[in-house]
This record gives sequence, C-alpha cells and structure tokens, in this order.
Amino acid sequence: MRTYYWMVLPALVLFLLFHTVPVLQGLYYSFTDYPGYGEHAFVGLRNYLNLVKDDRILDAYLFTFKFALVATVLTNVLALAVALGLNARIRFRTALRGIYFIPNVLAILIVGYIFNYLFANSVPAVFGGTNILADPALAWIGIVLVAVWQAVAFNIVIYLAGLQTIPADLHEAAMIDGAGTWRRFLSVVFPLIAPFFTINMVLSLKNFLQVFDHIVALTNGGPGTSTTSVSLLIYTGGFQGGEYAYQTANAIVYFVVIVLVSLVQLRILQRREATL
Amino acid sequence: MPRRTAALVALSLLLTGCGADGRVTLDFFQFKPEATEVFDRIIAGFEREHPGIRVVQNHVPNAETAVRARLVRGDVPDVLALNGSSVFGELARAGVFHDFSRHPAREAINPAVQRILDDLGTHRPGEVNGLPFASNANGIIYNKSLFDAHGVRPPTSWPDLLTAARRFEAAGVTPFYLTLKDAWTALPTFNALAANLAPGDFFARRAAGRTSFGAAYGEVTARLAELYRYGQPDRFSRGYDEGNREFAQGRSAMYLQGSYAIPAIRKAGPRFEIGTFNPHDKLVAGVDVAITMPREPRRPKEAALFVDYLMRPAVLRAYAREQVAVPPLREATPDDPALQGVMPFFAEGRLTGYPDHQIPLAVGLERIIQQFLIDGDRRAFLAELDSEYDKVMERRS
Repeated sequence: MRTYYWMVLPALVLFLLFHTVPVLQGLYYSFTDYPGYGEHAFVGLRNYLNLVKDDRILDAYLFTFKFALVATVLTNVLALAVALGLNARIRFRTALRGIYFIPNVLAILIVGYIFNYLFANSVPAVFGGTNILADPALAWIGIVLVAVWQAVAFNIVIYLAGLQTIPADLHEAAMIDGAGTWRRFLSVVFPLIAPFFTINMVLSLKNFLQVFDHIVALTNGGPGTSTTSVSLLIYTGGFQGGEYAYQTANAIVYFVVIVLVSLVQLRILQRREATL
Repeated sequence: MPRRTAALVALSLLLTGCGADGRVTLDFFQFKPEATEVFDRIIAGFEREHPGIRVVQNHVPNAETAVRARLVRGDVPDVLALNGSSVFGELARAGVFHDFSRHPAREAINPAVQRILDDLGTHRPGEVNGLPFASNANGIIYNKSLFDAHGVRPPTSWPDLLTAARRFEAAGVTPFYLTLKDAWTALPTFNALAANLAPGDFFARRAAGRTSFGAAYGEVTARLAELYRYGQPDRFSRGYDEGNREFAQGRSAMYLQGSYAIPAIRKAGPRFEIGTFNPHDKLVAGVDVAITMPREPRRPKEAALFVDYLMRPAVLRAYAREQVAVPPLREATPDDPALQGVMPFFAEGRLTGYPDHQIPLAVGLERIIQQFLIDGDRRAFLAELDSEYDKVMERRS
C-alpha cells in the first residue's frame, strides 16, 4: 500500500512546485501594480476592475471563443470521419494511420511558419487572390485551417481507440436487422463511442481556448489586433507591454473561465452519454 | 573525468565570478544579434589590456523581454548594451541603472544624442543612466542608380518627396517597398512625421490631458496614409526581412527604414550604391546602442574599466564603421558614404528623439497603425489611439 504513495509522490511534488506555486504567485501579483521588476505595491481589486473596462480584452475573448468553437467542431467532425475510414477494412491501413498521425508530432511553430509561407506565396500563386493572413476579416480562417490540420491527428487516435472497443457481433446483428450504414453509425457506433466523443470535445475546446503558438507563427495577433487571442494578449501585454500585474489578473480570470467552460461542457456531454 | 572537472570549473565560475586562473569574469549583456562579432573583437582588445578580467558576451533573442526576466530574478548583468527604447527609459526610471552624470567619457559625446537618451527617462532628474554608444538615423534609404536613371534628386521637403514618388510610379518603378506584415515597420515613418508635425510639447500636454491625438495628429495621419499609397500591391503580405532583400534587388526606389537596415540590405548584395536622405526639418535619431551598468554592481571596479574601454572614441568609431552607425561624438565623421545624406543634421544638432518612445508599449501603437493602413479610417485610428492611451495611463496611476 505504501509503495503506491511513493509512486504518486514525485508527480505531486513536481505539480505543486511548477504549477500550483506559480499560480498562487500569479494570484498574489494580480493584486499589485508589479511591472515585472523593481518595487510593487498592493492595489486591491483595481486590476480586475480595469479588466472589465478594457474593450481590447473583450475583443480578445470574442475572437478566442469564435475560433475555439469553429475549430473544435471542425476538428471533431473531420477526426471522426477519418477515424471511421481508418477503422474500415482498407488497403495500407496501418501505413495510413501512421501518416495521419504525423501532424501531431510536428512542432506547431515550425508548421506555422511553413503555412505562413504557403499562405503568403504559394496559395496566391496557384489559386490567385491575396494572402488571407493579411486580411483582418479572413486571417482567423487561416489560423483555423492550420489548427484543425494539426489537431485532427490526435483526435483520430482517440476515436480509433473508441471504435476498436465496439464488438464485431453488434455490427453483424444490426446488419441482419437490415440497418444501413448511416443507421448503424447513428444507433450503434456513435452511442458506443460517446465517452470518447466527450473527452475529445472537452480537450479540443480547452486546447483551442489556449491558442498561442499558431498565432505567433502565422499572424502575431494581426493584422491590427484582429487575431489576438487571450493568451497572446496576456503574453504581449504582460511581458512586452510591461503590464505584468494587470495581465496576470487577466490570466487568473481566464483560468477560471476555462475551468467553468470545461466543467459545464463535461456535465452536458456526459448527461447525453447516459440518455443515448 | 575531464568532463566532470569542466563542469566543476564552470560551476565555480558561476558561483564566484572568478576563473580557475584567478581572472574576474564580467557578464556582458548585449542585445543586438547583428553585432556579436564586433563586440567579440572589442572584448578581445579589452582583455589584452586587462589580463585579469574575462568578459563573457551574453546575447539572446528577444533581449528586452530577457533582460526584464533577469531583473525579475534580481540577476542583473555586470555591463549592459541596450537599445535606447522606451524599455530602457522604463528600467532607468525604476532605478536599476548606475548614474553616469560625472563620467569623464561624457565630454566627447554629442549633447543632442545624450539628451535623446535622457529624455527616455532617468531615475532622478539630472541623472544620466546610460551612455550612447552608437546612434542611428531614421531617414529614408534610396537606390542611387534608380534615382540617377530617372533624373530624380534626393527630396528635401514633403512636396519634393511626393513629386519623386509620383515620378517613379509613372515610370513603372515602385516608389517604396512596404513591409506591413511586420506591423512595426510603419513606425519609422510615423515617427518622422510625428516628430516634425506635432507640437514639441505634445506628450507633456497629452499626459496632462490638455490635448489629444485626435486634435494634434490629423496631419501626421493624413501624410502617413498618403505616403503608404505609393507601395507595391502585396504590401500587407511582406515582412521586414523580405523588404531588405527586395530593396537590395532594386525592386523599389526608396525604402522607409532607418540606417539600421543598411547592413542587412548590404548582406543581400545590392548592385547599386545606397544613399540616405531626410525630407523633414529635423531628423529623428535614436541611440541604437546605449551602455550602462547596474546601480549596485557586483564587480564595480572591473565593470567600470570595461565601460571606460567601450566608450573610447576609437572604439566607438570602429563600431560605427562596421555597423553603419553614427558615432555619438561631438565630431561625428562616419566614413560610410551611405550616411552622408543625413550627416548635416547631426552636425547642426537638428535632431529629435523617437516620438513612439513616449507612448507606452502596452498601447500597441504599431498594431493600431497597421489596422489604419489597411482600412484607412483616420477618425477611428485617432479615437483608438486616444482611448488606448487613456486606458493604459489610468491603469498606471
């Protein structure tokens, strides 16, 4: 019994040291006017009150949620479709599974810079038109494309794992009952992989709400501030803009928002699992 | 075994700042990636004169963020070479840097350049928290061959500049190669216009709430938009590095960047002579490199020796020659022909600092300008600038 505690302890210590302590430190600084160096004084809730008055923060929230919702839906639809294909009896199945996983192994920054080049040079040269990343109204679509392309890989693996838990005799029974492909997907496959759907939806939404690397590599928040996500705003305002304490308050609020969104999402989706 | 010994030596170096050979090690923080080799040579010269001191050059990408992070940890380098930007002013105001007001090297320094550095901010009034090591000239770069081929002379006024731009456009030559993918690349032009067109006491009055960008920056905004019409079509899709390269290929007659871009352009191998001019009354100049040390240095004697060495006129001149900078000396004589066009402004003291250094970084000026140059909405631009400025000021107070 005691061995188990020893097995858990290192991870717990590391978690407390590198996660919980910084969070508490951040919480402390969010009540000060600390610029990141030198002296600081307590200012109470002033940073939090200023957050509410800042329309740039609101814009960042709107952009981030719009991006995260679209990217989450697209990622899961595509991942599920590809996973169904890769689970069927097709040729080169193992090789294809490997290939579809590659985007997950590549560093987002590198992929981002490559796509940046493609959007700026190759896409206009082949299809005509202009660089969508340079258009404030369209730049977010470019980021969605790259983010989805990269995130689909991991979700495919989870869906594949789910699909393999479905016993073959259920398929056969449904087929004997005369169910078509679509009927079988809706009544047999999807209900049985619902827990995997839940975990994929929650994880993707949470990851996309924290979007940062893609944007740094593709637009750096521009043109103007049209693709500034909350994480990017926290970074640029806090470290480059010298408003460390203010953006730390922003980070604390955003942390709470993400936790709440994830919990609500989990509750709703899990309830659906039970009724399906 | 040798590796372990090396690790121990390295550790002891870190702990004591003394080498195994008894030499004192100085940690020299240097922000400019293009200048590491020049500084290596300068350091070698210093070490020859002072065999008891070893200088380790420390350069990182994103230096301003890095130096802040080191200050957060209370780990201040022994000697620093920093860009004379608003960050420098902020750190100086916070009381991080030494007071050089009685430093002997100041006698040789051009007072107009020193004032630009001091205006960024000092800990107490009258203090001098950094020494200018190299200055830059924020004029306009031009392609001498294209100017000669089309019979255009370097413009000396605003109407001249527009005439030149129209002339090139009519001849099918791109007047300016614009690189708005990197939002900051519009700042040099904004600065030149703001420094020459807005009232000199604008920022003092703005901070006191007695004027606004909306009231004083109309002309600046109009001229900025006017100039940016004369660029190539994919201006929003191209960045600074591409700009340097394309200008070097002769793709445009002029390039809206300061002298700091010249080394990068030369690296791309242009087949023409580079020139500079300034079409405004005053030249916006900055302190490209400022030398400073901490207020409470760990190794005061050695750090001071190194600062003295760096500030020798011969060292300043050698650096300037290599980096196409203007040495911040009273008798500034850069040998580089590319800078001849802007030298009269230094000689006559017709210099002014970068106005954007007076605008807090948290305002995000460059992004607001980028947005304006895309949508062209002057009213919205000025309103946004005023509202962001007010918000940041309110948060600071």
